[in-house]
Amino acid sequence: MLNDAAVRMLGRLPMVLWLTAMWAVLWGDASPGTLLAGFGVGAGCYAAAKLPHLPVRLRFRPLRAALLAGRILLDLLTSSVQMAYYALHRPGRVRGAIVAVPLRTDSDLLMAMVSGGLSLVTGSQTIELDREGGVIYVHGVPIRGEGDVPRLRRDVRRMEELFVRAFGSAADIADFEATEREMDAARAAGRGER
Amino acid sequence: MTAADWATAILLPLGALFALTGTIGMVRFPTLLGRMHASTKPDTVALLLILAGAAFRLPDVPTALPLALVAVFQFMTMPVLAQTLGRVSYSRGMVVAEHLVTDELEEVLEKRRAETGEAGRGPVDGQG
Repeated sequence: MLNDAAVRMLGRLPMVLWLTAMWAVLWGDASPGTLLAGFGVGAGCYAAAKLPHLPVRLRFRPLRAALLAGRILLDLLTSSVQMAYYALHRPGRVRGAIVAVPLRTDSDLLMAMVSGGLSLVTGSQTIELDREGGVIYVHGVPIRGEGDVPRLRRDVRRMEELFVRAFGSAADIADFEATEREMDAARAAGRGER
Repeated sequence: MTAADWATAILLPLGALFALTGTIGMVRFPTLLGRMHASTKPDTVALLLILAGAAFRLPDVPTALPLALVAVFQFMTMPVLAQTLGRVSYSRGMVVAEHLVTDELEEVLEKRRAETGEAGRGPVDGQG
């Protein structure tokens, strides 16, 4: 009983620490008194909101995460310049595409992160996420023709891989690689038949 | 002018420029999804640049940290908003098929409709 409660408390600790950090930043002061008050307010808010306890099973790899952050910033910047160009130059002729991309990860949190990350970068935006089938539907611009569709698909898959490798647990990564091999094999078999 | 002044003098107008193009895009793009792309990305970059420019005007790091919080929350909320709007606009049939090269979601929905025998209304395609 006590053990259960302790595990629950520990699971909530990261969120409360984050709330405390935010409190300290907003006060512009990291003295022990402020931190203590922040911890109290954070814990109180968390308890009052009765948020469900999520079983967060994520690892954090700083180097990979930095790589991902750099990638996102770069993509954000280039897609902004691109969108700025199209906003001024014949926006009426810009076409898009909605592609279905089967995801290789099966973790709820990673899927949510991927779909959020995609909405940030390279002219892509998540439209729909099929949780059961593990398929993400992404709208991308600009698409100049059929040739750009595989590029969009590749971008989505690359973003997924970056997220999984930055935040996935060892099990998530193993799962991801197994599914990838399966998909590659299926694709190779499909090509062989044709 | 100090280096901090120069940083602000470059970052703030650049941010304003991105915000301007985002808004121009929002007015000029013909489709809702195109407008979403035009408004979400340049606006995020614009906000980051303006926050960075403003940070150089502040005396020290602790006073500038709340600006970083603004950026963090922008990154957390923007994709949720974009996704919600995209999803709603699609299910309400506001995605115009002539601006799409392919639409694999519609193909799946059609298949699903055929399976359930339901005559649902898909996105606008000119024939529905």
